[in-house]
Amino acid sequence: MKKLKFAFLYSLILLFVLSGCTNNLKISAESTDPFESLNRNIFAFNKSLDNSIVSPVSTAYVKTIPHSIRKNVSNHLEWMDTPSTIVNSVLQMDLENTILASAKFMLNGLSFGFYDFDNNETKIQKKDLGSTLAKLNVPEGPFFMVPLLGPKTFRDFTGTLSDRQSLSNISSNSVNKLSLAEIPVNLVDKRSKLAKNIENIYASPDPYTKMKSFYIQNRRKNVYGDSYLEVKNKKLDLEFEKLLQ
Amino acid sequence: MKNSYNSLNFKKVLYITFFSFLFFQFLTFKSYSDNVKNGEIIVQKMIADAKKHAIKTIKLSPKERSLKIEKLIKRFINLDFMARATTGSFWKKATNTQKDDYKVALLKQISNTIEEHLNTLATLTYEPLKSEARGKKLVYVKGVIKDNSKKIPDVNLLWKLAKDKRGDFLVLDLEIEGISLVSSHKAETMAILRKNKGNFNALLNTFTKSE
Repeated sequence: MKKLKFAFLYSLILLFVLSGCTNNLKISAESTDPFESLNRNIFAFNKSLDNSIVSPVSTAYVKTIPHSIRKNVSNHLEWMDTPSTIVNSVLQMDLENTILASAKFMLNGLSFGFYDFDNNETKIQKKDLGSTLAKLNVPEGPFFMVPLLGPKTFRDFTGTLSDRQSLSNISSNSVNKLSLAEIPVNLVDKRSKLAKNIENIYASPDPYTKMKSFYIQNRRKNVYGDSYLEVKNKKLDLEFEKLLQ
Repeated sequence: MKNSYNSLNFKKVLYITFFSFLFFQFLTFKSYSDNVKNGEIIVQKMIADAKKHAIKTIKLSPKERSLKIEKLIKRFINLDFMARATTGSFWKKATNTQKDDYKVALLKQISNTIEEHLNTLATLTYEPLKSEARGKKLVYVKGVIKDNSKKIPDVNLLWKLAKDKRGDFLVLDLEIEGISLVSSHKAETMAILRKNKGNFNALLNTFTKSE
C-alpha cells in the first residue's frame, strides 16, 4: 500500500511539472566537458577494466554460449527494463508507446521475458527518466565518465539513478535482488553487442573524444528523435555548402 | 491606339516572364531530380562494389585488404572535402605537405574501419529508402542495412553526396543511426589540434601512432 502511494505521488508530481512545460528543442552544439582531465582518467580506468575483465568474459560468452540462448538472455534483460519505459512513456504522454510497451511487457511476461513472442515486430522506443527530463527542457548538463557505467551527461545520470531508485521502491524485494544480480550479465551482454564499435573506438587516435562524440550523438537521437537530426543536419548542410564553394 | 499597343506589349512581357519562370523552375527541378537519381546510383554502385571486393579479397591479410580498399574509397569518397571538414579553421594554416599527409592518414583510417566491417557487410542486404535534394548542392540518400538471419538489428544509413569540381558525385559524409562520421572525426581531430596548440605535425604523429 505504501509503495503504491509512493508511485502515485511520484507520477502525480512529475505529471504536474510536465503539464506546465513546452516541448521546444534546444540543443547546444557540443556538450560541455568541464571535468575533462578527470573524465580521461576514469575513461582510462574503465578501459583497463574492460581489457582485463569485461572484454575476455564477453568474448568467452560469445564463443561458448549459442546465439539462441544469448538472444533469450538479451530479451529477458530488455523485458526487465520495460517498466521504466512504460512509466516514462506515461510521463511523456506518449500514448502509443505506453500501450505498445505495456502489451509487449505482459505478453512476454508469460516467459519472464526470455522469449519474444512478438519476434521484435513491434518497435518500442526505449524511454528513461533522462529522456523525460529532456522533454521538460532540462539542460543536458556537463558530460562525465562514470566508473563502470561509462559515458553519461549529468541529466542522464540523474535519470538513471532515479529510474533505479523509483523502480526499486515499487517492485518487490525478490525483483530488486534479481535486477541487482543481473547487472554483470547486462554488462557482458551489452559489451558483446557493442564489441566492434568499442574496438573501433579504442583504435582511434583519441578514443575518449570519439566515445564522447558517439555517445552524445546517439543519446540525442534517441531522446529527441527526428527533430534533433533535422536541426543537426541543417547546421551541417550550411557548413558543407560553405566548404563546397 | 497607343494605349491598346501598350497593353498588348505589357501582356506579352507578362506572358514571357511567366513562361520563362515556369521553364526555369522546370529546369531547376529537373536538375535536382537528376542529382537525386545520380546520388542513389552512386550509393548502390558503391555497396555492390564493396561486396564484390569483400568476396574477392577474402583470402588476403587485413593489411593487403586495406590497401586494395583505398582504391575503392578514392573512387566514391570526396577525401579532399572530408579532410577540410574535419580540421575546421586549422586546415588553412597547414602547409601543402601537411595537408597531403593528413589526407593519406585519413584514407588509412577509413580503409581500416571499412576492412573491419567488410566481412559482415558481405552477408547483409541494403535496401534504399527515401532520397532528397538538400539546398543547391547536397543530396541525401537514405537506406537501411538488413540482416536476413535477423541476428543483427536493422541499421539506418544516410549518405550525404555532392558533385566535386570535376562534376563527379562523391560521398561527403555517412550517418550511421544518426551518428555522423565527419562530426565525430572532426571532434577528435579538433581535440588533438587544440591540445597541441594547432600543431598539425602533432596531429599527424597521433594518427601514425594509432595505425
